[in-house]
Amino acid sequence: MASVTLRKLWKKYGNFVAVSDLSLEIAEKEFLVLLGPSGCGKTTTMRMVAGLDYASSGDIYIDDRRVNDVLPKYRDVAMVFQSYALYPHMTVYQNIEYPLRVRRVPDEERRTAVMRAAGMVAIEELIDRLPKQLSGGQRQRVALARALVRRPNLFLMDEPLSNLDAKLRVHMRAELKHLHHELGITTIYVTHDQIEALTLATRVAVMNKGILQQLATPREIYNDPANLFVAGFIGSPGMNFLKGELTDGRFQGPDADIPDLIKGRHPDVVLGIRPEDLAVVADGAGHLGGKVFSVELTGESALLTATVGGELVTVRVDKDFCADIDAPVRLAVNTTRCFLFDARSEQRLR
Amino acid sequence: MAGTTTESQESGLKPQHQRWLAAIALVFAVAYTLFPVLWLLNNSFKTRLDMFSSPPIYINGNPTLFNYIQAFVERPFLQYMLNSAIVAICTTLLSLTAGTLAGYALARYDYGRAKKHISMWILSTRMMPPIVSIIPLYIMFSYFSLLDTKTALVVAYSGFNLPFVVWMMKSYFAEIPRDLEESAQVDGDTNLGALFRVILPLAAPGLAATSIFCLILSWNEFLLALIVTNTDRANTLPIGIAGRITQYKVEWGEISASGFAACVPIVLFAFVVQRHLVRGLSFGAVKG
Repeated sequence: MASVTLRKLWKKYGNFVAVSDLSLEIAEKEFLVLLGPSGCGKTTTMRMVAGLDYASSGDIYIDDRRVNDVLPKYRDVAMVFQSYALYPHMTVYQNIEYPLRVRRVPDEERRTAVMRAAGMVAIEELIDRLPKQLSGGQRQRVALARALVRRPNLFLMDEPLSNLDAKLRVHMRAELKHLHHELGITTIYVTHDQIEALTLATRVAVMNKGILQQLATPREIYNDPANLFVAGFIGSPGMNFLKGELTDGRFQGPDADIPDLIKGRHPDVVLGIRPEDLAVVADGAGHLGGKVFSVELTGESALLTATVGGELVTVRVDKDFCADIDAPVRLAVNTTRCFLFDARSEQRLR
Repeated sequence: MAGTTTESQESGLKPQHQRWLAAIALVFAVAYTLFPVLWLLNNSFKTRLDMFSSPPIYINGNPTLFNYIQAFVERPFLQYMLNSAIVAICTTLLSLTAGTLAGYALARYDYGRAKKHISMWILSTRMMPPIVSIIPLYIMFSYFSLLDTKTALVVAYSGFNLPFVVWMMKSYFAEIPRDLEESAQVDGDTNLGALFRVILPLAAPGLAATSIFCLILSWNEFLLALIVTNTDRANTLPIGIAGRITQYKVEWGEISASGFAACVPIVLFAFVVQRHLVRGLSFGAVKG
């Protein structure tokens, strides 16, 4: 299996910078997820690794080999496209066989490899069908089998689950995770879905506007975000943000007063707190005061949204929680789970 | 069904009557279109006397192969037909090969602003009436000693066809998702391999539609062939047929026989590619 190193990688389209000074090291057998909103440069990065786009500057290494000027066919990578990119005029068998056929692998060996790959994703009975006769999930499996058939050194997946319905997506996610565990192929996976990123990744690289925001394990990304963007992008429902002032370890903002935070003085800070780190408490207690805006039952819990100092704050509460709209509410904050950010630089204050 | 009911209510006719009306209209249209061809066929089996008899003989009770023997045995119409076939096939192959590659390059590769200019420039050569280019072409062929050769016709017709082929194929390729050839490249294929193994099979309807246009244009072309060729070794069918209108008489029998025979290959080819043709012409017209 291969390792991948990106060094000071840039991609520009005229004046538009798609990827800016990106440096990354992806270890052998790692499952790295490139996560970010549309247009953040994650797909462009993957396409440069695949050899489908040239880097404007910087280096791309697969193992110790610089591959900037190497054609895709010589990079020994396999890619699953968002659209699956199955060849419509070929049967499932011919689709899976394609990478071996262009490499002139002997017939018998080809047949064995195709059937083994089809077996891995359980599509042996579909082998004679055309792509148009398959469902979305089945097409996805064919695309996976085609990528698996020659055991590449590096797997590239560009939002492979985004065209599937919600239920199938959860199922295929589990299959992908299992497959990676079985085969141990180094994988780069592009997605804008943070749940996919957190569930699948060994490490997550969060990108925004072409810039790498944070590279860490899913746990770290969630529990220790490096800046306001990562904090806001990860988590569903998202992190709550309150603007205020930090004076000697005490955060004060409209309807908010939270002691025992980090030392220091900052006139302009943003406090971030996740919905599960807030609790509804009795009148007179707690750190935040506001009014009930809405209560939504999600099944295993409920989400209370309250207006605090003009901002909406979401709290995960017990599924049996009830409250009237506009009723006053007090909220307590888990002070060990508060994140403070500089409002100007948007970087974390520690 | 709902549509039919609404239409019949609008026209005040029963669906049954509407079908009859449509059928009658179709019969007239078909008769109007086919009558000249059938009359040509009918005449080709008549003697000269029967052709000019009054009243005209609609059903020929005494068919003769005389005209066909005259045209294809006594006179070199078989040679003309062969010349036409060689010229049409070579032209079609040449313009499809060059035009497909050019269309692919224009659809897929980025040359910045030059790309738009190149496309327009290619198209602009089609805006000029072909007759304008006949004198320069004559001088050029004369310079290269290509007068009275099939090569000259192939070169000229390919030039006439190319803008059409380039634009047709460019629009077909633009409709095929780029992911497919990128996937083929990552799977281990070259650019050209991806074009031949993945893209061209998907562009087959476009190729069929374009090829029939090329074939018809070069099969029917008259003016340039008349100027450039003057002996049997390069004369094509339209020239051969026109040659039977002489100073003293018009050989209607031979003209009918060779004229009908000239239609047959194109009609046969159209039948073969008909399925692709209809799909090809509507392909890319609408998205989604």
